[in-house]
Amino acid sequence: MNDLMYLAPEIVLVATGLVVLLTGVFLSPKSKNVLGYLATLGILAALALTVKSFGLLTMDGFQVGYSIFSDTLSIDALSQFFKLVFLVVALIVSLASIKYTENSEHTEEFYTLMLFATVGMMVVASANDLIVLFCAFELASLATYALAGFEKQNPRSLEGAMKYFVIGSVSAALMLFGISFVYGATGTTSIPMIAANSGLLTQNPIGLVAVVLLVAGFGFKMALVPFHMWAPDAYQGSPSVVSALLAAGSKKMGFVAAFRIFIVALAALQPDWQLAFTILAVVTMTFGNVVAVAQTSVKRMLAYSSLAQAGYIAMAFAVMTPVALTGGIMYALAHAFMKAGAFIAAGVVVWMVSSEKTGNLNIPDHLDSFRGLGKRMPLAALSMTIFVFALAGIPPTAGFMAKFVLFSSTIQAGMTWLAVIAILNSALSLFYYARLVKYMYFMPPEGKKVSIPLPYAAALLVAVAGVLAMGLWPEPFVEMAMRAAMVLMPL
Amino acid sequence: MLPVASLLILVPLIFAVVTFFTKTKDQAAGLGFLGSLVTLGLTLYAYLNFDSSTAAMQFYESVKWIPILGVNYSVGIDGISMPLILLNVLVIPLLILYSWKENREAPNRFYGLILTMQAAVIGVFVSLDFVVFYIFWELTLIPLFFIVNIWGGEKRTHASYKFFIYTHVASLVMLLGIFGLFYAALNQTGVATFDIRELITQFQFLQPGLMKDGIFLAILFGFLAKMPTFPFHSWLPEAYSEAPTAGSVLFILLKIGGYGLFRISLPMLPNTGNPHLMIMMLGLLGSVSIVYGALLALRQKDLKRMIAYSSLSHMGYVTLGAAGLVSLSVAGAMFQQFSHGLIMSILFMSAGAIQTSTGTRIINNLGGLAKKMPMLTVVMMVGFMASLGLPGLTGFIAEFLVLTFTFANLPVFVLIALLAIVITAGYHLWAMQRAMFGVYNEKLGDVRDINSLQVFSMATIALLVLYFGLNPSPVLDMMIKNSEAIVSLAAVLGV
Repeated sequence: MNDLMYLAPEIVLVATGLVVLLTGVFLSPKSKNVLGYLATLGILAALALTVKSFGLLTMDGFQVGYSIFSDTLSIDALSQFFKLVFLVVALIVSLASIKYTENSEHTEEFYTLMLFATVGMMVVASANDLIVLFCAFELASLATYALAGFEKQNPRSLEGAMKYFVIGSVSAALMLFGISFVYGATGTTSIPMIAANSGLLTQNPIGLVAVVLLVAGFGFKMALVPFHMWAPDAYQGSPSVVSALLAAGSKKMGFVAAFRIFIVALAALQPDWQLAFTILAVVTMTFGNVVAVAQTSVKRMLAYSSLAQAGYIAMAFAVMTPVALTGGIMYALAHAFMKAGAFIAAGVVVWMVSSEKTGNLNIPDHLDSFRGLGKRMPLAALSMTIFVFALAGIPPTAGFMAKFVLFSSTIQAGMTWLAVIAILNSALSLFYYARLVKYMYFMPPEGKKVSIPLPYAAALLVAVAGVLAMGLWPEPFVEMAMRAAMVLMPL
Repeated sequence: MLPVASLLILVPLIFAVVTFFTKTKDQAAGLGFLGSLVTLGLTLYAYLNFDSSTAAMQFYESVKWIPILGVNYSVGIDGISMPLILLNVLVIPLLILYSWKENREAPNRFYGLILTMQAAVIGVFVSLDFVVFYIFWELTLIPLFFIVNIWGGEKRTHASYKFFIYTHVASLVMLLGIFGLFYAALNQTGVATFDIRELITQFQFLQPGLMKDGIFLAILFGFLAKMPTFPFHSWLPEAYSEAPTAGSVLFILLKIGGYGLFRISLPMLPNTGNPHLMIMMLGLLGSVSIVYGALLALRQKDLKRMIAYSSLSHMGYVTLGAAGLVSLSVAGAMFQQFSHGLIMSILFMSAGAIQTSTGTRIINNLGGLAKKMPMLTVVMMVGFMASLGLPGLTGFIAEFLVLTFTFANLPVFVLIALLAIVITAGYHLWAMQRAMFGVYNEKLGDVRDINSLQVFSMATIALLVLYFGLNPSPVLDMMIKNSEAIVSLAAVLGV
């Protein structure tokens, strides 16, 4: 009974998902809009419960945490922090979806899949056993495969979903293969037990094979170059709300899983995977930024910038100090606000273009659609500006604070060269982010002023609030992230 | 006692936000003007309560912000920052008056951004914590980027990008230096702090070596690129000349590079591995800037570009005076920052007025404007004379102090800089003569003189130039104690 109590947020979400699915069947298509509000309420409740659990953890000591269900799930600062990340993304996505699903026949499926995907991600954050982790991973993945292809009549959506599905399945296979090697060497799938038996892994060449397979498997989910091929297509093709979920949410699932597996379970093999992640981080951030410069589709540009951002977070593995992990974990939350917000803002423009039935419908998120957005939709343009400046790391935003902690840790660890590369990348990224701002504010508008639908506005405001709160009042976030990092690297 | 330092940031910021929501041109300009007047009032209050007889920090406030990292919101005002704040709050209301009657798109954003800029620049001047400092430092980029890009000239996009990315990279290098300093001090003392003065103190205890000099140079680079000093000035001519008049003046008020030099780099300099080499480098960059900027100004056809390059030349005196490391040369360099801000404001306003009236800035296409624009000619003359260093005006005081007192330590560089005085006089007089005097160029058609608000604002600045030129002590006195403090730090180490 006690164990269930710690899973209250997940239970609430599952229940909401089932209620949404069941009531949706009985509702007429016009009244289905209520489902979106229902889902949002469920997420808010889960969010409140998760925030409350921080209080519980503080009382009983953060570093201990709880192991529940025979040590298969752990409830600690790290899991709770990432649950917060996923719930924040889910909140932003579900708010924005209220408008997106307005005329859809499959509203109930959409929200149920979205909620289940979030539950999957949250369980991954807690998973303390490789089998549980894999199952939760697949729960989240399967739900997002379906969501990515939600616009069945749109060939782009289908193509993106197909690539995402095929490559995702391959990555799942690789991951499972890696897990089986770990099991083969140590005889257990429990993360603490693997860590305890790490001697068996280091003596055995199988350990190295497992590292390679797991890096590749998780690399897909984190969209690290060269395992990123699916990401730009999936992010561009998916409905914008789903792109937000993928880029801001499910990518973080890859990170939290990798944090636990590599840093806790495979700590003994640190030199091997640390080198791999150092190379991956440098390649990913550089490739992402360079390619993003050439994009004319804003969602594709955001997709490549998302690669670059993953490269920054991967620096946490490369540096591997408590501060670096704090920075990486903070970056995950900052990125959730910034990227989810940016995709929603892009979604608002897509909505505007397609509802006007003018312009280039083939790529509704073309840069040209953003011309004069500052005049046409001031709120959308202003929030997009805040998001892209945050992504570029301009103060006083979440992006700056996260980069501040992460990059400074690199200097502390004596890896100045890595900080220089990251900073040059950061400067390069400013170019394409500023270009978007230029289109929104410096180009004459084509078309009339459009009022922004309330659900979109609400989603954008939540994201803006998050970005600014982390930038202006970073203390609580730094502290939470620091406690989460201590789970991985007890001082 | 009012928390003046914080209010000086907050007041313009709040007015900026309100200004963004105004509807008409008059509302926007009026509210902007009101905001800048309130800021001016606050500064005058601070000025009256300011004690010039000490180098200590005044109006100090400190609140914990991110305790885990040792980041505090600490602000304060001393003799290094006070004159620059004064410069800012004096010019900005006049700038708003100057541009009040101009017609432009989205005046609410225009005046809102000017006030945002004011808040950001004052924020840099009062910050005593590196993180706060850096945040305001970066914040200054955004309003300028928008102002140049929305209301600038033909090549505004290129110019604004170049400025934005160039100085952003320089700032990031500076940030690397700040991180380096932070961790070096942390390893040494075990206390995490971003306090500027504490870190400068800790800097002297660091092990000499590549890391130590690297930290110094990285931070210095950020400042030199922002000032700018040769050879990091390539963003300057385009940004200055493509910006609208108000933007060019805001660039001029952006004295944060030179400020950083006095606040951070000079106190650190004596503790670097080879301070003499660093002084030589600064002196060289300063004197080359002076001559190179003057030579380039001489061959410009575009009036605004000429002024932009003359600005490079004049900022060279700041670097040179700082390198002099004598209390009066350093004070002269600080005074040059103040004086340059006033003088260049007049020059850019004049160039802007000429462009608005005649539609061109090419000097050879002008001619005889004095007949049609007598009011402009009078104030412009004051600006040009001050810029070329005529005694009785602020420019003379600054250059005189720098050249006279730097000579003791760096005679060669002073001799190089002296060459430029002739050139400076040359291009100023030549430009005046071709543009304003002689036969009126009939092709220009009917040209109107500047409006009364513009006369008022430019004349007020001209009077300030004259007043502080005859009686520099109200500003200079504030600087002396601080420049003495900087110099005595160096003297202790025998630099």
